[in-house]
Amino acid sequence: MDTAASLVFWITILFTAASAVLVGTARKILHAAFALCLCFLGVAAIYVFLHADFLAAVQLIVYVGGILVLILFAVMFSSHSQETPGETPRGAFALGAGALAGAAVFLAFVLLVGRLSPPLEGQSAAYAAEAYRHTVSVTGKEEGLGHLLMGEYLLPFEVASIVILAALLGAVVIARKETR
Amino acid sequence: MGVLGISNPFAGGPDNLLTYLVLAAFLFAVGVFTVISRRNAVGILMGLELILNAAGVNFVAFARFHGHQLDGQVFALFIIVLAAAEAAVALALVLAVFQTRQDIEMQTVDELKR
Repeated sequence: MDTAASLVFWITILFTAASAVLVGTARKILHAAFALCLCFLGVAAIYVFLHADFLAAVQLIVYVGGILVLILFAVMFSSHSQETPGETPRGAFALGAGALAGAAVFLAFVLLVGRLSPPLEGQSAAYAAEAYRHTVSVTGKEEGLGHLLMGEYLLPFEVASIVILAALLGAVVIARKETR
Repeated sequence: MGVLGISNPFAGGPDNLLTYLVLAAFLFAVGVFTVISRRNAVGILMGLELILNAAGVNFVAFARFHGHQLDGQVFALFIIVLAAAEAAVALALVLAVFQTRQDIEMQTVDELKR
């Protein structure tokens, strides 16, 4: 991996982390929604770095094109029309509790990763040798993904389609205005 | 051993699994912070999306560094599918609550507790 690619990678990482922080801390809920858009874009870029091109495309289409539009719609719909969409300031207790829980979770995960670190690093080193050949030769990943979805994971795939159907119908019924 | 048992976490770059794991942990932690501290129901939903994204990054990272297997990507696909379904239902609930109360502050929606 050359220096330019490495630089782009670190910029992507910082960009994703910074926009995630903005999602949590933005004063106005609309700004948080736009920060969430940037965060989704960053995660899609990270999927590209992980050689998951198809997943990056799905991330863009479903998250940025679907979920984010839904969220923006809900933000604009559920705010009073006079003022810009915002929310009442959060109390110090809520902020403190949230920060404490977030810091505890992060510390726990990083400690866990640190505990796993020696075997993982061995794997990464072994991988690095293999990686270069792979990056050139891995083609048809999407084909493999399709075979997995239509073969080994066929049942979960079909169940997921039923779940989506049920969720969409439920959403329509819940959000519909009562006419009677 | 360096910081927190990780020997030099910044040595990695794109070819190091640890980088992705730490980033995912950070996304997860920020998501937890958002879910706990936000009062707006849509804001809480944004925190949930951050948490689901963190899980997806973890799955794909482990899949890539475990011999380029694709199973992790399939799991991440299912995460995205479930996130979409969850977002649709949750936002419908938000709209329903807003229609009845003109307000989606989670602190004040406590009819069932009275």
